[in-house]
Amino acid sequence: MSLRRRSILTGTAGALAAAAIARPSFAADSVMVGVSGPLTGPNAQYGAQWKDAFELALEEVNPSAAHKVQYQFEDSQADPRQTVAIAQKFVNDSRIIMELGDFSSTASMAASPIYQRAKLVQFGFTNSHPDFTKGGDYMWSNSISQAEEQPSLADYAITDLGRRRLGVIHLNTDWGVTSKNLFVSAVQSKGATVTLAEGFLPNERDFRSTLVRIRDSNPDGIVIIAYYADAATIIRQIRTLGLTQTIIAVSSVYSPKLIELGGDAVNGVHTLSNFFPGEPRAEVQRFVTAFQAKYAREPDNFNATAYDTMVLVSKLVNTYGTTRAAIREGLPQVESPSVIYGTIKFDPATRRVSGAQYKKLVVKDGAFAMFQGGTPA
Amino acid sequence: MNMPGLGAWFDYTVNGIVIGNIYAMLAVGLALIYGVANLVNFAHGSVYVVGAYVGWAAITYLGTPLPVTILCVVVVCGLVGVGIERLGLRPLHGSSRIAPLLATIGIALVLDQVVQLIFSPDPRAVPMQVPEWRIPIGGGTIGPLDLLIGGIGLASAAVLYGFLRFTKLGWAVRATAQDSDAAQQMGVDINKVNMAVFAIASALSGISGLLVGMYYNQINPAMSFEATLKGIVALIIGGLGNVPGAIGGSLILGLTESYGIALFGTSYRNLFAFVLLIAMLLWRPNGLFSGRSSLPPEPMTGTFIARSRPFRIPPWAVAGLIVAAALLPLLNNPYVLQIGVNSLLYGMLALSLTLVAGTVGQISLGHAALLAIGGYTSGLLAMDAGWPVAVTIPIAGIVTAGLGTLLVFPAFRLTGHYVSIATLGIGEIVSLVILNWSGLTHGAIGLGGIPPLEVFGYDLGSVEGTYWLCLVILVLLALLQLRLLSSHLGRSWRAIRDDSVAARSYGVSGNRYKALAFGFGGFGAGISGAITAHSYSYINHETFNATLSVLALTMVILGGLGNVMGAVLGATLLIALPEAFRGLAEYRILIYGLVLLLLIRFRPQGLMGTV
Repeated sequence: MSLRRRSILTGTAGALAAAAIARPSFAADSVMVGVSGPLTGPNAQYGAQWKDAFELALEEVNPSAAHKVQYQFEDSQADPRQTVAIAQKFVNDSRIIMELGDFSSTASMAASPIYQRAKLVQFGFTNSHPDFTKGGDYMWSNSISQAEEQPSLADYAITDLGRRRLGVIHLNTDWGVTSKNLFVSAVQSKGATVTLAEGFLPNERDFRSTLVRIRDSNPDGIVIIAYYADAATIIRQIRTLGLTQTIIAVSSVYSPKLIELGGDAVNGVHTLSNFFPGEPRAEVQRFVTAFQAKYAREPDNFNATAYDTMVLVSKLVNTYGTTRAAIREGLPQVESPSVIYGTIKFDPATRRVSGAQYKKLVVKDGAFAMFQGGTPA
Repeated sequence: MNMPGLGAWFDYTVNGIVIGNIYAMLAVGLALIYGVANLVNFAHGSVYVVGAYVGWAAITYLGTPLPVTILCVVVVCGLVGVGIERLGLRPLHGSSRIAPLLATIGIALVLDQVVQLIFSPDPRAVPMQVPEWRIPIGGGTIGPLDLLIGGIGLASAAVLYGFLRFTKLGWAVRATAQDSDAAQQMGVDINKVNMAVFAIASALSGISGLLVGMYYNQINPAMSFEATLKGIVALIIGGLGNVPGAIGGSLILGLTESYGIALFGTSYRNLFAFVLLIAMLLWRPNGLFSGRSSLPPEPMTGTFIARSRPFRIPPWAVAGLIVAAALLPLLNNPYVLQIGVNSLLYGMLALSLTLVAGTVGQISLGHAALLAIGGYTSGLLAMDAGWPVAVTIPIAGIVTAGLGTLLVFPAFRLTGHYVSIATLGIGEIVSLVILNWSGLTHGAIGLGGIPPLEVFGYDLGSVEGTYWLCLVILVLLALLQLRLLSSHLGRSWRAIRDDSVAARSYGVSGNRYKALAFGFGGFGAGISGAITAHSYSYINHETFNATLSVLALTMVILGGLGNVMGAVLGATLLIALPEAFRGLAEYRILIYGLVLLLLIRFRPQGLMGTV
């Protein structure tokens, strides 16, 4: 290993030729970013969604850019043991000027000390855990901040839908608990009440007894903080138990899968989304059209976030330079067009983006539609 | 705590029965298999998943009506059951009883991965093929599927009970269960009997997967572990091998969970299930529906130890390996070094498990819990109490030794399967307590910002620093363990493993020696967990999960149970090889499962031989 390293460093012709053969597409004006994410294992579908969006973004931005962005995707299975090894690989590969990922907080945050130490930006674009960007000044994220989403959700339930007593069912994970706490304080600041908050474990399927507890706390609305698969199960059981309260759910239930798994029971469910393909805004329509043309299906939240991220990377390298230091210096200043935010602009203190726009949605006849006001279903 | 009203209690009872109903379908099959083959089938939940996906595929691609769908599921899952019997049970006849149990864990890993590779981990909806009317009961409703699931559970239990009691083949099955050698001498073809039983039980499991998938309108490959776990808990409550008892046990489990939610809230649900499991193992290991209060006689003594001559490495070679390992940082390749760190940390875990599972013969399926205790102890002391890391890591070792021993102490009087199930339950309890005791452990949020490794002002947070620290600790632990094994203590441990009754009659008190082994093993595992916590800077209740326990066991069996060098080798191989074959990442867990299966079948003594 040391031998090969030396030969590359001394720049022997053979080594250079070998490197050129190994990576024929790596041209002089290209820059490389490392992606650590799940391509296999239980979260494999998310890695696949990232890849689709990355490809689309690069096809659009690279042709006209001075510095073309390429990425090296390492499969981590969102497992912390593998993200630390990948992190060592990336920080010691001088071609890599920025890292994107990983998917879960556990996996990303285990690798943060390595990136911080090596002064390589770790851009966790799905990491909403409040501690992620506290790992150091090289940890940045454009993921949706729950501190913004939860007050919007409370506003939807209380102001738009006129609910006063809300029962909450939340996933008992770092994300679910953080969201629940923010939601509860937002509800209280609006003078309404949370009658009960119940946390459930991942992989749970039976919510009947949980729902009896919720029912007996006498709410006029039920709030679900979960991903679409669990949310579909919960909503079905709410209806089979004969509960008729208005259901309001966080943006992570926004997926065509919610309707597939939930069936008729999800009609009338209210939710928010940062991204809605039916939204008329020009950036959104351009992205949706391009995505549909390439993949023949509608993009979702994960696609939109990953697309935004790759566009941001191109903007960074073409505005601020192609070194690790240049990326770090560029992040506090950059303004990049975004499907989700309109414009991405970081708060240098929190290293996060604020100002996500929320669309109020309701499920109508088995499809998501913009909420037009009026009486709750 | 708000006491629910009478009407609500009625609803909780109905809900408990509804979910108990679902557990019963799993538990009946498990009980049948245990009753005949004396085997807790860890692949049962995987067959349930296979059944769900076969049914989904039949409905989606072939548009089959319900009876045909069920027929497809019965045929495929019956064949899978026959396969499990051929691969996991028959070839292992005559080896120790824990061997088939480990084989079913390997089969479960393989089946789950195959389903995931074919159908992707994305959840899918199973089209409902049953009419959707609802009957109001109390404050809620039940539907035809509830009745169908309950009906199939009860009917299959009744038919099986009658079959076992009143038919000739049933007698053969029971005779095989009692004494397979004697049954064989009386002309019973025990292989045919076993095969029939596996086919029936697996078909039943597959049907339950299909119906439960329809019930929740959702299936995914990850649902198998939960299904196996709940089925086993229900089985233990009802009494191993007791088919009608399995139904009772399932209903009691469902009611316990439902009332637990009623009184304490949803996040305590599984905690109740596992505490009930441990309580049953301790006080009524034969189940609630059995007269005897003592354990049934275990025909085996000792454990999964294949007699073999350990491969001896001369001391100069060991010294050479240590020097080579110490020189690894000179390669100046941090990626390789990070894999080295991972291997060393797992080496410590494997040392600990090889002592407990190999030398003392207590096959633990919850060893990752020790990592969690160590990681949380050190992390919390460093973060919340502000102690220096150089102090918190050894303390984490000591606390893990103490707490770990205390937790398994009640299980010391158990043997064989019971130990494995009890440790599995204890592992789940540790994880759930960490999740629920948010005042101490920060709950689901986890521990973020754990201080980096630093010893007396020296920063060991770099990969070289961590590597050297881990190497020194591993070498010290390994030398100490070798020293202990060759002492009086080591001989006593092996004596307990090989014949606990004989050991006792020679005045070697089992419990005290087992406690010493768990104490020493807990110390090493605790240190490993603590170093992991400081180098990750963030851990939560899922960082050290049940998959890790199975991985550790595979490492230990690969190296050779009880073998110190083997444990280190096993850990290094299972950590380094998947990195070397990054392109095969998709098949990683599949490969672990196959390695485990092949080892148990063809090389139970592992690479380096058992000690």
